[in-house]
Amino acid sequence: MSEPVAHRTVVFDESPRVHHLLDRENVLGPVMLAPLLVYLVALVGVPLVLVFVYAFSDASTGSPTYSFVGLSTFQRTIADETFRTALRNTIVFTILSQVVVIVLATILGFVMTANFRGKWIVRFLVLLPWTTPIALSALAWLWMLDSLFSPFNWILGQLHVVAEGTPVAWLGENTLAVGSVVALQAWRTMPLAAVILMAGLTSIPPELNEQAAIDGAGFWRRLFDITFPLLTPIMMVAILFGIVATFTDMAAVYILTHGGPGDATQVLASWSFYTGIESGSLADGAAIGVFMFPVLLGVCLLMLRRARRAEVL
Amino acid sequence: MKKRRSDIQTRANPSTGQALLARRLTRRDFVKAGGAFALTAATFPTILSSCLGGGTSGGSKTLKILQWSHFVPAYDKWFDPWVKAWGQSKGVTVTVDHITYDQIPIRTAAEINAGSGHDLILWIVPPSQYEPSLVDMGDVVKQVEQKYGPQLDFAKLTNFNPHTNRYFGFTYSFAPDPGDYRKSLFAQAGMSDGPTTWNDMLSAVTQIKSKSKGAVRGGIGFSPEPDSNMAARALIWSYGGSEQDKDSNVTINSDAVVQAVDFMARLFKQAETSEVFSWNAASNNQGLVAGSLSYILNSISAYRTAQASKPDVAKDIFFAKPLSGPGPKALASEHVIQTYVIPKFSKSQDTAKEFLLYLADHASDFVYQSKLYEFPVNPTTNAQDKLYGSGGWLDSDPYQSDPVTKLQVLKDATTWSVNVGYPGPASPAIGEIFDKNILPSMMAAAAKGDKTPKQAVADAETQIKAIFANWRQKGLVGGTT
Repeated sequence: MSEPVAHRTVVFDESPRVHHLLDRENVLGPVMLAPLLVYLVALVGVPLVLVFVYAFSDASTGSPTYSFVGLSTFQRTIADETFRTALRNTIVFTILSQVVVIVLATILGFVMTANFRGKWIVRFLVLLPWTTPIALSALAWLWMLDSLFSPFNWILGQLHVVAEGTPVAWLGENTLAVGSVVALQAWRTMPLAAVILMAGLTSIPPELNEQAAIDGAGFWRRLFDITFPLLTPIMMVAILFGIVATFTDMAAVYILTHGGPGDATQVLASWSFYTGIESGSLADGAAIGVFMFPVLLGVCLLMLRRARRAEVL
Repeated sequence: MKKRRSDIQTRANPSTGQALLARRLTRRDFVKAGGAFALTAATFPTILSSCLGGGTSGGSKTLKILQWSHFVPAYDKWFDPWVKAWGQSKGVTVTVDHITYDQIPIRTAAEINAGSGHDLILWIVPPSQYEPSLVDMGDVVKQVEQKYGPQLDFAKLTNFNPHTNRYFGFTYSFAPDPGDYRKSLFAQAGMSDGPTTWNDMLSAVTQIKSKSKGAVRGGIGFSPEPDSNMAARALIWSYGGSEQDKDSNVTINSDAVVQAVDFMARLFKQAETSEVFSWNAASNNQGLVAGSLSYILNSISAYRTAQASKPDVAKDIFFAKPLSGPGPKALASEHVIQTYVIPKFSKSQDTAKEFLLYLADHASDFVYQSKLYEFPVNPTTNAQDKLYGSGGWLDSDPYQSDPVTKLQVLKDATTWSVNVGYPGPASPAIGEIFDKNILPSMMAAAAKGDKTPKQAVADAETQIKAIFANWRQKGLVGGTT
């Protein structure tokens, strides 16, 4: 027979001082934020400092010691033809992909705010690329763009657009390879932009458009004179997030093209990786990475400024 | 008595779900529980590690091995239980982790810089850039050489740095890199025994592409991947050129290399398509097995794959020795060269070396279990007669080639295989040139018409000289120019 269950009271022996401290917002707030700060310092701050330290040194992955060498890594980096190609590509890919993203994300924002049956399926499908790790999605794209097994080539073959046995080399032609990388970057950053713009669209008071419609403004007039001006601040946020995600990404290039054909799709992040990690020239890899810093710093300052303005408003 | 807000009161048995739901979780409880969890999570690995100790597990020795997932999967299925059985006999707990070959550099960099990780790491290219952080393997190499003869020249050039006079690794096997061709297609071009020169090959693959209306093409890559690197070097050597001389001076800008680049440009224009600029390491294998390619440079792993998946295609795949060019000798790069390294942080260095000696004693096992993919680099191992001897495995393939003599062409592979960096040694500079795919990119620039062969070579020289100068400053590379 089981013992009767007794009512029990468990009392923690807490000092009044701790009790008091944990109830104070100015103590609890920092305590709750501490893990995030530790995370940011350990995984963002320290590596960032190390990048600058390494960039001015002769560090390599294989040696535990290094010494400072001034600006020689930067001189070597700037003299490297592939670095200059990578710098140009990084900027071009970012601009092109974000232009595509903003156009398509705005359209998707309108679609997702409209009322129609099956809207949740559309929203689910739009968000799907965002939930897929970039490495996985890039592998899927790699298969789709493979020179031998591409389903796109199969479809084009079935439609007699290309002759059998002469596949389109999606990743073998400079222009197509660049287009493929831009398309992948746009595809993966578009969901976030679409959601941000959807939120922006829902925040526009409907009375404004209703009033304008009563006053005789057509769709395009309302779009350009009411919707877009009010959407611009939030659109900037979407663009800034997209720039950061695209400018710093190396997975798309690493998996899709390895920087090829030749160095036609090499970007700063991938060239930094090949130089610093694969080849072991850590200092040179860090110096390449440093060239991303001014752009990212500028974008971050813009984001903070915009966030503060929104707070004031 | 007034209860404190943090008291946990249960009105029923605390083990029941109802009671748990009935509990009031205060903010302070949450902070305390979270703090306790974080502290436990942070300290548990340290405590566990302290209990287990480094290099020993509960008093017994440990050996942690990291190696690439072998291109012949049967090898891994044999190797893992085999090495663990050795460990059991020696009282060593052995763990083997497999990752793809292209992840090995990343993982090695992480472990070296973290100062902890595996005791043995297997590379398929010379990891010379890690020399300062690796254990000198001279004693292992010398013991193996005493038993099984001196390492082949290209193996020594792979794991020995003459500039520092150190063995930074232990090379025990290599995979030859012959030409793989479709016999039936080459027979149509009047070369049923395959090509012997680069010009023969160009002529044949051009005819095959033309007859098949582009459906079957040449398969020499120009991509940022290992096979294209090997092919570029094989061609350059056959034209009498090289990246460096035997003393590690840069020699890439020569008439021989310019001619080789010009040849590659013609090969692309006549017999290939832009797909060759986008390949990864598996692409030429896949193309050969799929029937889209007539000639590739690769190890026999593509053929072994075809034997299992497409026996009819496998039956038509034959092998050719390195192609001759205008240079003095036809050469091929080793396809992979198996080199174990021991990081200095390892606490099981002696155990690791003991295992490497055991591995060298079982050459016939790793040759056989790799389906003749791997060949030993010492000349008198117990695999020598079984592999090369009359009636041996290369005369009569135990893995059912049709005909069984198909692999005979590899019997003199040790005479035409050389290391990456030939005629000089492997070095971090040579490794960086390989990892940055500078030679395939040089070939690609000329093939696409972006640069003339001369300009492509000159630009490559600029990059290569900067790389050599950088590593010379670190004292790891010899030479002066």
